[in-house]
Amino acid sequence: MIKIERVSVTYPGGVEALRDVDLEIEDGEFVVIVGLSGAGKSTLLRVLNGLVPATSGSILVDGTEVVNANSQTLRQVRSKTGMIFQTFNLVNRTNVLNNVLMGRLANVPSWRSTLGLWPAEDKEIAMLALERVGIIDKTYVRASNLSGGQQQRVGIARALAQEPSLMLADEPVAALDPVTSRHVMGDLQKINQDLGITTLVNLHFLDLAKEYGKRLIGLRDGILVYDGDINDVTDETFKEIYGRAITAEDLHAMNEEPPENIGNGK
Amino acid sequence: MNDDPKIPIRPTKPKPRARSFVIALVLLGLTFWAAIKVSFNLSTFWEVWSNPIWAKFWPIPWDWVLTKENTFDPLIETLQIAVASTLVGCLLALPVSFAMSSLTTPNKVVYFFSRSIMNLVRAVPDLFWAKLLVTAIGIGAFAGAWSLTIFSLAVMVKLFSETVDAADPKPLEAARSSGAKHLPAVRTGVLPTVFPSYVAYSLYIFELNIRASVVLGLVGAGGVGRVIETQRQFFRFDRILGLLVIIFVIVWIIEQISVSLRKRLV
Amino acid sequence: MQNLSETQATVERPLPPKTFHLWLIAVPLLVAIVWSVTGLNITLSRLLDAPGDAWTILRQMIPPAFGEVYERGAVGKVFESVYIAWIGTIIGALISLPLAFLAAHNVAPIWIRSPIRQLFNAIRAVPELILAVVLIPVTGLGAWAGTLAIGLHSIGTLGKWACESIEDIDDGPVEATKACGGKWVNGMRWGVLPQVMPIVSSYWLFRFEINVRASAVLGMIGAGGVGSELVSQLSFRNFPAASAVLLMTMAVVLTIDTISAAVRRRIIKGAEIDEESKNLEAIADLTGIRA
Repeated sequence: MIKIERVSVTYPGGVEALRDVDLEIEDGEFVVIVGLSGAGKSTLLRVLNGLVPATSGSILVDGTEVVNANSQTLRQVRSKTGMIFQTFNLVNRTNVLNNVLMGRLANVPSWRSTLGLWPAEDKEIAMLALERVGIIDKTYVRASNLSGGQQQRVGIARALAQEPSLMLADEPVAALDPVTSRHVMGDLQKINQDLGITTLVNLHFLDLAKEYGKRLIGLRDGILVYDGDINDVTDETFKEIYGRAITAEDLHAMNEEPPENIGNGK
Repeated sequence: MNDDPKIPIRPTKPKPRARSFVIALVLLGLTFWAAIKVSFNLSTFWEVWSNPIWAKFWPIPWDWVLTKENTFDPLIETLQIAVASTLVGCLLALPVSFAMSSLTTPNKVVYFFSRSIMNLVRAVPDLFWAKLLVTAIGIGAFAGAWSLTIFSLAVMVKLFSETVDAADPKPLEAARSSGAKHLPAVRTGVLPTVFPSYVAYSLYIFELNIRASVVLGLVGAGGVGRVIETQRQFFRFDRILGLLVIIFVIVWIIEQISVSLRKRLV
Repeated sequence: MQNLSETQATVERPLPPKTFHLWLIAVPLLVAIVWSVTGLNITLSRLLDAPGDAWTILRQMIPPAFGEVYERGAVGKVFESVYIAWIGTIIGALISLPLAFLAAHNVAPIWIRSPIRQLFNAIRAVPELILAVVLIPVTGLGAWAGTLAIGLHSIGTLGKWACESIEDIDDGPVEATKACGGKWVNGMRWGVLPQVMPIVSSYWLFRFEINVRASAVLGMIGAGGVGSELVSQLSFRNFPAASAVLLMTMAVVLTIDTISAAVRRRIIKGAEIDEESKNLEAIADLTGIRA
């Protein structure tokens, strides 16, 4: 369970990314966070595993205080928190298995991972993760040779390999085309249902959120402006989150957007 | 066009600023002064050709040059110096480069110290190192190998740490978010990306070292340069020319092999 | 909540591909190490003694005897190295610039540019030190031999760099001078030169920085400059004096690097030189290799 109390984040440049956010998330929930770019969605996810330090407030992840925690505690929290990135953040020059094994780093002695001598049981966990996202046949393929959707599934597998109790997905489909986006969102939803991993997903657009989410959190300028069931979202809520009335374009924006091939051919 | 010839409209040419004038004058004066100091002598350019000393360069005494003890043994020593110093220098450069890159440095203190030491090392010309080490640990190939090791380390660290600086930071973020310690995170998140450049640079350093080890002997640090130095004192320039021909052929062959290997890597 | 490792595998695991074996690299590397180490007579005791020996000498180098070397005129020697580098760079620059125009593929015909390119490459292949070894008997010992060696060698790199920047220019202005009825020389003077001059002059400065180091080294074989001073102090085992010479050289090298880099930045403004590739070449050039 996650308990966030009066958390604020001010970046060194003076930008206030989060202001006095209070939030409670139960185990096994699937939460979608929406908001404009710069509303603080990314920051909200990153304070949870300490990638961004909170300026003030308190964050309890499964009973462990994250704010001002020492590096060992932080590593412990992170090892139980999987993260999925908008740009996949894969090591392109190496194969899929090695990428997924990065999820095991916290559980493998440093000398073994440094020499690349991964224990068989950790390899098996990586394989199980790959199996779950349906790309086990790509195990020994170089990450750069995969399509964007496949790369993001490697990203999910890497997070899964940590055997996390919490999964943070930072705009996981923003770089993907609409069809692939639905596959990836489906994967995330299925993992949440099958394994009961608490999942927080940042999304830019409401339509995907409505399709996959249960609980919706809306952020605007670092302030929590909505927290409730996704089916209760009204035009008023939309206005509050996005600062203007909803239009047909917003709902279909995903389909209009040309696919960005961020992960391809790099 | 101006119809009235009585009103000529001609913009005045902007006057060069007094400061640039002074700078030009100072530079010119400095150049003259320097020219006097180095006993600049234009007539050398034509007198050089009629100098009787050229006769001493010809004919090349091949029967002296193409022997084991005069050319090939010292050449092998040169090669050994180059191989040993490349291996040691490049191996040492791997951790130092990671310590020196802002992306992968463990902390600011290490970063600062490694940078300043490497800058100091580079401020000393390479053959000064050789001479210093010859004095410290004795004439011969051992001192030469040490000095080229330092030289390779300095050059390699400069080139490779810039590559690490430019590496993609995102996989590193992914590794850290999985709770990895510093060393495994760098090893799995950054090393695979930069390793091909590392190998290519190492080969390149090897080429440099082959060249450098040829001249090391001129200051008593072993290798084929030692033979050149001795023959120089006997004014046997014909032998020197013969040696140079053999050296350049062999160096050229090794270089071509190394260049073709490097091309495959990139 | 269920852990991944508690779930069951349902699909067969793919077999790792037959990769190229590590020992194919490891064995030759190991052989190379053993071969070179045996050849260099590196014994464990020598290896262990070396740091101690170096440390003994380092201790004797402190404090540096600045006063003593000053009286011997070492400051003048350091400056002599700088003069050698300066005049050498100027010789290299003046000779290489016209040659570069004849070597660039966009402005020169093939029959002239390929021999000049070969000339650049040939010069670059010979280290300054070797040039000096050959030149000293001709010109006699002293600064002039070093200056010529550096000047000659600089023609190679400066020519190559200038030629590359000429090949990178915008062809429009050259076409314009042709359209005005200008001759080849006019096209070069008014169409090409203004475009390449900032970058070319910054290459000159960059080469000057390298030449300062090179001329310090040249002194070691008697081609003028501070190198001879270091050699003689070290052979007398006068370590405080040697360290003073060394520190003075380092100070001058670093000062010149800093000033020159600042001037280069002002000349180019925005359009940075690709430092990495030029560095590669410059280092290459200290030993005369083709990248």
